[in-house]
Amino acid sequence: MNFFFFHLMPWPYLPPPREFLREHEAAWVTLSNSLYDPVRGVDLYERYVDELADAEELGFDGVVVNEHHQNAYGMMPSPNLIAAALSQRTKRIRICVLGNALPLWNPPLRVAEEYAMLDGLTKGRLIAGLVVGGGPEYYSYNINPTEARGRFREAVDLVVRAWTEPGPFSFDGEWYHLPYVNPWPRPLQQPHPPVWIPGLGSPGTIDFCAERGFGYMGVAYYAPPESFARQAARYWESVERAGKPVVPENLGWLTTVYVGDTDEEARAEALPHLAYFAGNLAAGFVGAGKVWMPPGYIEPEALVQFLADLRAGADRRKRGPDALFDAYPMVGSVETVREKLLEFVLQHGIGTVLALLSFGSLPADLAARSRERYAREVVPWVRARVEDARATTRSASPPSGP
Amino acid sequence: MSVATVAGRAVTLTRAGSGPPLLYLHGLADVHSAVEPEPAPPLLAALAEHAEVVAPALPGYLGSDALGPHADVEDHAFHLADLVDQLGLGAVTVVGASIGGWLAAEFALRHPDRVRRLVLVGPLGLYVPDARGVLFFGAAAPRGVGGLGEVRGVLFAEPDGPAALSALPDDLTREQSLRWFGGLAGAAQLGWPAPQLCNPKLRARLGRIGAPTLLIWGPDDQVAPVAQAEVWRGGLRDAQVEVLGRGGHALTLEHPVGVARAIDSFLT
Repeated sequence: MNFFFFHLMPWPYLPPPREFLREHEAAWVTLSNSLYDPVRGVDLYERYVDELADAEELGFDGVVVNEHHQNAYGMMPSPNLIAAALSQRTKRIRICVLGNALPLWNPPLRVAEEYAMLDGLTKGRLIAGLVVGGGPEYYSYNINPTEARGRFREAVDLVVRAWTEPGPFSFDGEWYHLPYVNPWPRPLQQPHPPVWIPGLGSPGTIDFCAERGFGYMGVAYYAPPESFARQAARYWESVERAGKPVVPENLGWLTTVYVGDTDEEARAEALPHLAYFAGNLAAGFVGAGKVWMPPGYIEPEALVQFLADLRAGADRRKRGPDALFDAYPMVGSVETVREKLLEFVLQHGIGTVLALLSFGSLPADLAARSRERYAREVVPWVRARVEDARATTRSASPPSGP
Repeated sequence: MSVATVAGRAVTLTRAGSGPPLLYLHGLADVHSAVEPEPAPPLLAALAEHAEVVAPALPGYLGSDALGPHADVEDHAFHLADLVDQLGLGAVTVVGASIGGWLAAEFALRHPDRVRRLVLVGPLGLYVPDARGVLFFGAAAPRGVGGLGEVRGVLFAEPDGPAALSALPDDLTREQSLRWFGGLAGAAQLGWPAPQLCNPKLRARLGRIGAPTLLIWGPDDQVAPVAQAEVWRGGLRDAQVEVLGRGGHALTLEHPVGVARAIDSFLT
């Protein structure tokens, strides 16, 4: 069972949601970077890198860094830089880069190279995320979104072959032609670092991960957790159909987490910062208003469903601020978060919990208190019970799911 | 509507009227790209009074198959040539609006023998750095909540007028949404690469178009600003410009009567 600390490195200094959305349509693509203050940025980088480095002492299994471009959502257009910094600040934990949007690189060979470097720098602790990139990235980098899926799948093949086949060899695909594939260095982990791919629930992505033995990380944190149930079921069915071994850690779930003294206190402390996350930072990406989701990036059917989900979320939130907790349920006392998390993990066969602990505008002191409670009081409790439950299942029945 | 198969690909067609053949190539929001294909919009009915109108849905729109990966503007022009040949239309008058105007010009310069006369209504395609239009794909980014007001505001001079609201209503049914996003994906496959919705090589090639050409423009066009009209006229061998009294980029929807009248007097 994996417990990872997931960081987006949010920009916390925008006006509160109501005021913000009066003047700006989104926190992505067009939100003027004149709102970014480089001096405050220095302090934030220091804080956020410290938070990630401290995860080792707190007993996390790993940390996750993330890639997005031209937004206030996160200050990490290049997650590899943060991973490189962390490689020198940590010794034990896994470092997962759930970024490196392959279609944004030409040639994507660069990703194979940088990950091989990171695997060496971390002495084999890298988890290599390979991602399509969010919709807004296709506006920001002006990459043709109708080519996103084709380029992504082909680039995954290129990267994995570059790691595993002795070079030099020629790669001739539909999108990429490289007469000499021969990257130095090669990764330490053999045959290659674990590959994790994030998804919002697209069946095609889930099947692809299952068939290739890659981890699937469900990252639709804005949707009610029940929607993850469909994704989990699909993943384990596909793994079985593909005849691949069941590796519970290959199914991940991203969730915001806030642990307070009592349920009431936790909700009161988290609410404004969750509202900032959902109302300000997600605006333009997975928020209710303008959505930078380019044509052809997903099938029209999937786009229509995605917009319907966002509309349903907006309707729920109209019921009042507390409705926010429908989509962000892991907020409460130690006991509450323990029990909810254990139940959800067991119910869906989750092997990797990606906890978003420094969300939105959450200040450093509240974030530290919640993170320590989560790491010291929630994680060990849940871990022990999940491992017991899985050991019992394994000895009682032939393996069919985790 | 009917479906033709051209080089193995489905093409959704509207055909109406009789007379000399007229190929109509729709724009970003008119005719087939609007969310409701039927009844055919008033401009087509007006053109069908004097011509045999053939109006294909461009690749990606209304069930017309996409041209496949790597297809660029040249493949779109070949696709139109295949269509004209297959339907046995011979030499045609081509009327193209918006993105369809771009394709009409690209078709005409590659296949001069197939084009008698050319009418371009607020055409895209020409790269004019000092008269760039608004960024259409950005304006057309979908909304979880809030309808299509932004993209109407870009395409229409009167975004809340009846023509705009009937072409792009705020509350789309599922089917209408699928048509709209399918069409946008078709436009993106062709027009997303920078500079968007342009072929930087087109300007230097305009002189290869020999067919007499009428350029019709709306004075309030934000996507292809009317200042581009003079660049077209300067590059074409035989062109005249008519700017209507009002109207935006979706001119064929906002002022079909004015557009039809200008076309009629040009063709007769």
